[in-house]
Amino acid sequence: MDLFMQQLVNGVTLGSLYALIAVGYTVVYGIVQLINFAHGEVFMIGAFGALGTWSYLLGESTSIWVLPIMIIGAVAASTGTAVIMERFAYRPLRHAPRLAPLITAIGVSVFLQEAVRLFYPGAKSKLPFPQIDVVTGPAFKLGGVVIQRAALFTVIALVICALLLWLFVNRTKLGRGMLAVSQDPDTARLMGINVDRIIVVAFALGAILAGVAGVAQGLQNSNIDFRIGFLAGLKAFTAAVLGGIGNIEGAVVGGLVLGVVEALVTQYTQYLPFGLSAFGGSSWKDVWTFALLILVLVFRPQGLMGARVVDRA
Amino acid sequence: MNTSTLPNGARGTTAVTVSRPSMQWYLTLAGVVLLIVGSLLSWCYDEGVLGNVSLNVNPGPIQVFMIVIAVLTLFFLLLRGGLFPVLDRLLDSARALRALGATATAFMVAVVIVIALQTSGLANADPGVFVALVGAALITWGSWSLASDPTVDPVSVHMRGWVDILVIVALLAIVLFGAAYALGQEDGTVFVLFLSVLGGVSLALARSGLFSWIRVIAQRHRQVLMLGAFAVAFLFPFTQNGSDANMSIATQVIIFATTALGLNIVVGLAGLLDLGYIAFLGAGAYVGATLSYSAFATIHWKPPFIVVMIIGACVSATLGLIIGTPTLRVSGDYLAIVTLAFGEIFRLAMFNLDGNNGPNLTRGPNGIPAIPDLEFFGFNFGDTHSIFGIPINRFGNYYFFLLVVAAIIILVFTRLNNSRIGRGWVAIREDEKAAEAMGVNTFGLKLFAFAGGAFLAGLAGTVKAHQDVSVTPDQYVFLESAFLLAAIVLGGMGTVAGVLIGATILKLLPEKLRFVSDYRLLIFGLLLVLIMRFRPEGLVASHRRQLEFHEEDTELAEHVEHAHLEATAGSEGSA
Repeated sequence: MDLFMQQLVNGVTLGSLYALIAVGYTVVYGIVQLINFAHGEVFMIGAFGALGTWSYLLGESTSIWVLPIMIIGAVAASTGTAVIMERFAYRPLRHAPRLAPLITAIGVSVFLQEAVRLFYPGAKSKLPFPQIDVVTGPAFKLGGVVIQRAALFTVIALVICALLLWLFVNRTKLGRGMLAVSQDPDTARLMGINVDRIIVVAFALGAILAGVAGVAQGLQNSNIDFRIGFLAGLKAFTAAVLGGIGNIEGAVVGGLVLGVVEALVTQYTQYLPFGLSAFGGSSWKDVWTFALLILVLVFRPQGLMGARVVDRA
Repeated sequence: MNTSTLPNGARGTTAVTVSRPSMQWYLTLAGVVLLIVGSLLSWCYDEGVLGNVSLNVNPGPIQVFMIVIAVLTLFFLLLRGGLFPVLDRLLDSARALRALGATATAFMVAVVIVIALQTSGLANADPGVFVALVGAALITWGSWSLASDPTVDPVSVHMRGWVDILVIVALLAIVLFGAAYALGQEDGTVFVLFLSVLGGVSLALARSGLFSWIRVIAQRHRQVLMLGAFAVAFLFPFTQNGSDANMSIATQVIIFATTALGLNIVVGLAGLLDLGYIAFLGAGAYVGATLSYSAFATIHWKPPFIVVMIIGACVSATLGLIIGTPTLRVSGDYLAIVTLAFGEIFRLAMFNLDGNNGPNLTRGPNGIPAIPDLEFFGFNFGDTHSIFGIPINRFGNYYFFLLVVAAIIILVFTRLNNSRIGRGWVAIREDEKAAEAMGVNTFGLKLFAFAGGAFLAGLAGTVKAHQDVSVTPDQYVFLESAFLLAAIVLGGMGTVAGVLIGATILKLLPEKLRFVSDYRLLIFGLLLVLIMRFRPEGLVASHRRQLEFHEEDTELAEHVEHAHLEATAGSEGSA
């Protein structure tokens, strides 16, 4: 039972990270029906933004008070990237055929990865991420279950971000504008909503959460490199689809479900009968995740929550 | 295409009489003379700058480029002077002259700056460089106020067949010698300069409308063009004199182009975005490796290579069928993600099947090394053979073999494209629901596109395994799929020539531009974004494709219709 609980905790931790990134995919998709393939890179740049703030502005201090500033640095880097990306890469293609923005997204993704690798000092190999007091250090023990401090940070960050996001979307004028544009952009425009601005806001919202996720990832893994965005982005996209793309609550739920499923699969496929256990364990977990992605896309493209049915053609 | 689509009214009023050359005409002519004279003189005392431009009457490569520009300018001037009235009706010389003048001036300014920077001041510059600069400036000035002359749509001009064929042959000869010359340049700076001159000249020729004329000719004499292009590719190794460096690049280019052609069926014709295509090449390569005579091969069955090729292609095609089945339910972006996930699964599986994490099939991250060279009837691909006294080395052998494979694939591609199946694909690409309503078997055709594309990639993969000597999972990462896609997008979706050009550019440039090799992916990413922004239809666009990206362009639409009617009338006439 302890083992199961431990995997559940691991899964929720992992899932919180996926959920934070997945929101970015879902918000943008809900509004412009674009898979922002480069969103994983935004998350990666958030992590590097935090690291950069820490090493160049904060004098490499590890006291807890630097954490908020690191988060601000991360969010600034990721949001800046996302907004520039939207302005110069995606906006000119708003009315282009569907293939064009997707290919652009691949180009942006490669470009951002390489820009970080080439221009961030020392980024060609893995860089150590600072271990901040309080949020890292000795783990808590609850019965037989180990809870890392960084894991707790991730989960709390998700809860706070999700709450703020919910308030923003449902209680502010801009947030309601987002809802309106996602339902019907043309009518929203007629009602006096500045659609271009809403789209920028959507990109920025996703980037803020991705920036927070970048910090969480750094604290959890204690190092970062320029490649973390690709896999995390793909997993988070899976999470977004799982929850029903375009649906913000769905992205959070999908992230958590994906994380838990991944943790449990890693643990329990080792006990598969008939020699299938050879295909279990941590080295195959990504394969199972992608298989899940394919199955969801094929058999339940509207996701678990089934909120909106989009014509994906 | 630009010139032919401009409204005639704007042109007709500004028409100039060609009988009496104007002031500007003589001014430009003087510029040409100055440019040639200047380029024949020394540009700089220092021998080490820009690959030796310090000799009189013995021009260095850069000076040769300038002379080429000058000669081209002269050609267009004479055209304007009324020397070849037929061509003058087709080509807008004023726009070409302006582009040539701008290129020459920009180029000379750059040369002056480089000389000033590299020799610490302009004191070391010889008069020649300034004579050439003045010449270039005169060309620009003279041509700037030249009026555009009216041109006719090249579709409506019919010349004698042999003239057309002569143009094609000349063009291909230029391509062959240009390629051999460019590849022979060891100096990175000169190579870049060559490329920029090439870019400027191409721009000028495009502005003059030459390319749209050539496009029409190429459409009329498709067989001649294809045979000629094949001949050029066939003759290329003979220009290399057994040198390894360029032939290894050429072999890589041809494998890449072959794979891209397979992907072009899926993306370009059927309009299904496949982001995991490299897995099919990988599947072929792994089949080729595991069934080879390598000591590390994990399957101890050694069929002849032709059987291996067929097995590799069939394994790939089976994977293609598996990955194609979701197309029944998924399309658009979601399909792209499905294929991406599939590509990742393939790579991870190859990585894990190492005996520790699963059955031992691929030796995991170590891959299968030491794959021996191919051998057909005692002809070993590893040996150097001599044909007509010119040595053909290992890469040359593979090059010829791959050329045959590529020719087969091109044949399959074009035949499919012009068949009922190809029409079906285009219909699906443009509007799937309408196609289905018209009785097109959409699911079957989409499945066939995936399986067919995968089959071709698998075929290329088996050869690639032997040519690369080893097969490892990290050769088949997502980035390679993105590269393939970029080759298609850059060249022009759905066209053969475009994909060949795109593949060549994407493989050749990083090899030649070693000094920017660290930045090549950065440039690649940026390039992808810029193409999508400014020329989404690619360098060589099929007109129909172009129309999809510029729906509001009614003149283009009329032009496409006209060209289509012309083409069908032509084929009916010959049948």
